[in-house]
Amino acid sequence: MIELRELRKSYGGVEAVHGVSFAAETGSVLGLLGPNGAGKTTIMKVLTGYHFPSSGTALVDGVDVAEDPIAVKRRVGYLPESVPLYQDLTVSEYLDFAADARGLEGPSRAAALERAIGACGLSGVTRKKVEDLSKGYRQRLGLAQAILHDPPILILDEPTTGLDPNQIIEIRELIRSLGKSKTVILSTHILQEVEAICSSVIILNEGRIAAQGAPSEIGEALKGEERIRLRLKTVSATFDQGRLSGITGLRSVASCRAESAEVVVAELVMPPAKSGDIEAGESVFDWAVASGLKILELERRRLSLEEIFVKLTQEGEGR
Amino acid sequence: MKNVLAIARREIKSAFNSPVAYAVILSYLVFTGIYLYFIRGFYAVGQADLRDYFSIMPVVLAFLAPALTMRSWAEERRLGTYELLLTLPFTEGQLVLGKFLSSFALAAIALLLTIPVPLMASLLGSFDTGVLITQYLGVLLEAAAAVAIGEWISSLAKNQVSAFVGSVLVLLALVLVDKVSGFLGLGGVVASVIDWISLAFHYDSFSRGVIDTRDLAYYLSAAVLFLYLSAWGLTRRKWS
Repeated sequence: MIELRELRKSYGGVEAVHGVSFAAETGSVLGLLGPNGAGKTTIMKVLTGYHFPSSGTALVDGVDVAEDPIAVKRRVGYLPESVPLYQDLTVSEYLDFAADARGLEGPSRAAALERAIGACGLSGVTRKKVEDLSKGYRQRLGLAQAILHDPPILILDEPTTGLDPNQIIEIRELIRSLGKSKTVILSTHILQEVEAICSSVIILNEGRIAAQGAPSEIGEALKGEERIRLRLKTVSATFDQGRLSGITGLRSVASCRAESAEVVVAELVMPPAKSGDIEAGESVFDWAVASGLKILELERRRLSLEEIFVKLTQEGEGR
Repeated sequence: MKNVLAIARREIKSAFNSPVAYAVILSYLVFTGIYLYFIRGFYAVGQADLRDYFSIMPVVLAFLAPALTMRSWAEERRLGTYELLLTLPFTEGQLVLGKFLSSFALAAIALLLTIPVPLMASLLGSFDTGVLITQYLGVLLEAAAAVAIGEWISSLAKNQVSAFVGSVLVLLALVLVDKVSGFLGLGGVVASVIDWISLAFHYDSFSRGVIDTRDLAYYLSAAVLFLYLSAWGLTRRKWS
């Protein structure tokens, strides 16, 4: 459980985070999203006790980071963005140090090491020196360090950068399963990652929260409209765009062109369907049947997180 | 204490996994050996006395200590492991002490590896063991103070090179400052203040085989002061 209340942080007079509040429950994966310099890393550094807040409070499992940073650090596993590793050590020496730091002893230590090495797929490289590891293995070693003591809170700053697609899928799977019993906060600018593993999202822009909610909710809230891509087979050779106005509830036609003599492709702007209303696709279908046209394709275009992201962060600039 | 040892152990492992520690210790032994046998002509002088050998230790330590401490914090910054270290459940005091302990242990290893020198010399004449032990104690105490200063400068420096150069300059100044009062013919309070801050001045009586509690107190309080300054700097950083 993580809670921020009106968190502010300035570095040398420049405020990087302007009063951010949010909470993340146990058993959830929260994605922090935002352009570079939005304050993602700063928030993580406060939550890990690396920096103290300038004002406001940050609570980790009810413990204030500024009051008892050691208790917070014990509860947190952290993978910094730069994946810091001691180059001179071997993989197992490095993990031994992490185990020492976490005060792991006896059989639980051996079990923790084995679990972390297994979960991050490091068993083949334990004797290798860190400086000889590939980027992907370094990332995994950083993650192994973070999960070694089975912390209730995991803070991961861009956990999948530098991994190949197979490794990305593995690590995402691991994070998702960890998220079932822990509070996981991860930052990313890969939007598919948020859709793939996060139960909620906070979009940050210039140190403020620009939007928050479940990935699908954010999409809904911002949509305000429904877009339908339609491919029609017209029976007659000529198709007048004006005929589209027969569709119930049509707001406007974003585009309409003839693909061939008989096929027309159009993009329609429709009002968002609220529960109980007729869905946009339904009225398009009814119209086509009534007009004697054949629908070849009917696709509801989802506003992707990319578009939402761009929309939010650009709108935010005026504020 | 466990945490302190965990940090120190990691440091020492890193040091011996890379060639740096070996190179530093070896050059220390080679240099002091050359000084004793060739420059001072130990065998030619024909005296069973290692005072000359120990009298250059303050100057040598002004290079040895920075060579051992330059990596300490500066390297953590470069690798970004600084962030890791400060987000592990260590207190600032434990971090500073752990790092100090590892650098001091390396300095002590280097010093103790010189034991064959008096051992070999003892075959040639009768040495005063008490004096010898006092001389070693003096070097170790001075090393503690020098290492604490080096650690502090490393905690302020951006990189290893500036940590090394900065520490060498500060330590050399502290070692040589007591020569200034003699050179300028200063007397009275000024001279005694200048002498008092000098690392070498307090080492004099040890090298003659005398343990003076004032010197003991000087070295220990210098070490404590600079360790405290390092810990204070680490804590302050969090708020900035």
